[in-house]
Amino acid sequence: MRLTKSGLNTATYVAFIALILAAPLVFDPFWLNRLSKYLVFGMLGAAIAVSWGYAGILNLGQGLFFGLGAYAIAMSLKLASATSLAQGSDTPIPDFMLWNAEPGAPTELCCITKGSFLWIPFQSPWFGIAMGIVAPVAIAFGLGMVVFRKRISGVFVSIITLSVVLLMRLLLVQAQPLTNGFNGLTDLGYLTVLGLEFDPYMPQTYYLVAISLALVLVGARLLVETRSGLILQAIRDDDRRARFLGFDVPRYQTFFFCASAAISGYAGMLYVMASEFASPTFMDLSFSITMVVWAAVGGRNSILGACIGAILINMIEATVSETPALMEAWRVVIGLAFVFAVLFLPRGLAGLAAGLRDWLVARSEGARPHAAPIPAAEERGRA
Amino acid sequence: MLDTIFIGLSLGSVLLLVALGLAITYGAMGVINMAHGEMVMLGAYTAVMTSLYLGLGLIAAMPVAFLVTALMGLAIERLVVRRLYGRLLDTLLATWGVAILIQQAVRLSFGLAFAGITIAGLGPGLQNVSLPEWLGGVFSVAGSEISVYRSFIILVSLLLAALTWFLMYRTSIGMQLRAIMRNPQMAAACGIDTNRINALAFAYGSGLAGVAGVLMAGFKTVFPDMGTPMVVDGFLVVVMGGVGSLVGSILSAGILGQINGLTAAVSNDIIARAVVFAVVIAVIVWKPKGLFSYKGR
Amino acid sequence: MIQNPIGAPASGAALTIDGLTVDFAGFRAVDTVSTVVEAGELRVLLGANGAGKTTLMDLISGKTLPTAGRVFLGEREITGLEEHRISQAGLGRKFQIPSVFRDLTVRRNLEVAACRNPGVFANLRLGFSPAQTRRVEDILDQVGLVTRQEDDAGSLSHGETQWLELGMLMAQDPKVILLDEPTAGMTEAETMKTAAIIKAMRGRHTLVVVEHDMAFVKEIANRITVMHLGRVLAEGSVADIEANAEVRAAYLGAKGIR
Repeated sequence: MRLTKSGLNTATYVAFIALILAAPLVFDPFWLNRLSKYLVFGMLGAAIAVSWGYAGILNLGQGLFFGLGAYAIAMSLKLASATSLAQGSDTPIPDFMLWNAEPGAPTELCCITKGSFLWIPFQSPWFGIAMGIVAPVAIAFGLGMVVFRKRISGVFVSIITLSVVLLMRLLLVQAQPLTNGFNGLTDLGYLTVLGLEFDPYMPQTYYLVAISLALVLVGARLLVETRSGLILQAIRDDDRRARFLGFDVPRYQTFFFCASAAISGYAGMLYVMASEFASPTFMDLSFSITMVVWAAVGGRNSILGACIGAILINMIEATVSETPALMEAWRVVIGLAFVFAVLFLPRGLAGLAAGLRDWLVARSEGARPHAAPIPAAEERGRA
Repeated sequence: MLDTIFIGLSLGSVLLLVALGLAITYGAMGVINMAHGEMVMLGAYTAVMTSLYLGLGLIAAMPVAFLVTALMGLAIERLVVRRLYGRLLDTLLATWGVAILIQQAVRLSFGLAFAGITIAGLGPGLQNVSLPEWLGGVFSVAGSEISVYRSFIILVSLLLAALTWFLMYRTSIGMQLRAIMRNPQMAAACGIDTNRINALAFAYGSGLAGVAGVLMAGFKTVFPDMGTPMVVDGFLVVVMGGVGSLVGSILSAGILGQINGLTAAVSNDIIARAVVFAVVIAVIVWKPKGLFSYKGR
Repeated sequence: MIQNPIGAPASGAALTIDGLTVDFAGFRAVDTVSTVVEAGELRVLLGANGAGKTTLMDLISGKTLPTAGRVFLGEREITGLEEHRISQAGLGRKFQIPSVFRDLTVRRNLEVAACRNPGVFANLRLGFSPAQTRRVEDILDQVGLVTRQEDDAGSLSHGETQWLELGMLMAQDPKVILLDEPTAGMTEAETMKTAAIIKAMRGRHTLVVVEHDMAFVKEIANRITVMHLGRVLAEGSVADIEANAEVRAAYLGAKGIR
């Protein structure tokens, strides 16, 4: 059988998706729940690869989109929790609002604290789910329209995104009566939609995450394989050339920035369902940079590579974090891994895999001369 | 009012010391050194350790801290940064890894913690440095109480800024460095040993951050993660001031310090930081090259 | 102040430049330049370094905003539009320092240039039409990069990179093409090949070429515009220009015709 690059690429995707779908056969509920969180991180890795690897936009504030998605659904789940429902008023009230309320304030969501009415629509889980995507995309769109129209690029985009996530985090903490500040949103209910209840330790939650990840991976890969994705990569290489070819560069950059934000927001929602909390730490600088680490180790230019990098790192971390001393050592390993990955493996694990793939392809083509362009053309015809 | 302005000035001064090093390394070498905040942290720990083991005061700790962090900076340049010139965002990522390593080294007493040995002064906990008595008081000017220590910080920062200016504009090494900042290839072609100058500049910038760390140890608790916000703030200063412009860094450090101090005086620290971020975002969007950028071709 | 008042573009003109001026803090790099390039013409821009040729191209293509004057592409005014709008209106440009997408393969470079629809949503589709594929393959053949089509553009030689950029312009298929020193830094053999490619482009496109190599200019030019210190010094056929005393004094006299 003759192997082709795209054939092997597809095979890798199929194998990975089969693997994550088969995981419930092996893991107990406890580990399955953990694994679902790592798959969510894998989704974040894919989001980073889209914006960093394909668009050349190193977003150091990806945690903003993740956090917005997380808080959006967490607000709905908070209102759906048993404690919120049992506060003795017509509408559910988050417990922390009662603790923080002025004495004598009405115990209604409309007016218990200033701005608490913003919570009202979140009584519908659908609203929470919608906002989990809409809010990150809206912010990404606004940011993109300003930043990319002004032709800000490279490290300046990184600094702006970093400043924005830190700013939003401060505002989130500052709005303590509305958001429970540093403590975040805990004691959440389960999401129940269409008669399905998503208990984080039940397989349906895992399957929701795994299937979502599979769809996101395939979707993101198809997205960057489209003509727009190709043009995006051209813009990454030389935005001036792309402008003079007639492409509205900021629009392309904004579109894919929004796509990356949407994936991150969705990941944030899934994370809340698996972990049952939302916290301002999602918007910490170190978390946003950590995501970039995952993508760099896995391979910044590879959607699947960045995803697997995130999952692998987190699985190892979970294994060693059983002992506190090892956990501290692990952070040393992470620091070293990062330095070494950047120094010696700029394309990450995916770069190694691509090397192996090319070797396999070359071997299967046997002694046929390299110069023959025909197989490449065929491959493109099929793709 | 005057005391508030003084608080802002002293915040700006520490910021300036951190930013100067970044301005040089970023401007000259195109290196974003995320481990720069760890130089601040190491400087602060040097103050802790020298007072603990050698009985040195804060002032005597400053040259020691400069030396320690400058050597550390030199090592980072030689081992990591040197291999990454020309890859700006990669330097950011690799030095972030270095930053984690340095933090862990302090937290784990250089790894001895694994063997059950802990070094007093290091470790994950909080450390404090006591000020000498003559630095601890206040004096009053026009009815405002002004902290002696804050004035001291401002004085030291101004002296070091002046020293930096002198080194940059009145010495041969400074001239070579400025040549590299404008055009590294051309500078190399003119016979400038860019390797050596880069390493020296990196070490010097790290040393300044170390001194900033000692100054910070005088009014803040010292802990292994303290550097991260410093490097972020330092970068905001450099970018807002305009990459490659020392004057820009000095002025924007002053502006951001005042904004921080004044906002904190009327509200709280969280809002003050938020306002600083908002101002920086607005400035970058308005003038992506910074307020005082060097106009290249 | 307009030297040659032209007003509305004449029909048959592909590119009309009317009193174009740019002022860089008191320095007029391009000073009230006016000219009309007929459809299908190959115009060469001649002039010493600093005469304002590249700046003129920057003004036409939208890279720099003019202080005064107007530019028309066909009947349509393009003055002050953003680069991509000007490009969409039918103008292509090659830079003096070749500029290609280095991390994409040669073929991919041409495919990107062949995406005629500029919209991000319109391009959310996989693959290319058979017509586009054929066009890309024709161009690969014309610029002689068939054997290198699967290589990254970053691995091409200087000459090959220039040809690839020319190929990208063909794929883009604009009405008017600006070429800034297409043979700079080329060997004799490479220059010959470039001349052949440009000649092949002539029927399909209106070309404005900045060039120094007089042998090359004589080979390809219909008409020549000579610029000096930001102004148009002379305009005419190759013979006219060679006979022009002012041109000799300002430009050819110093260097001679190679």
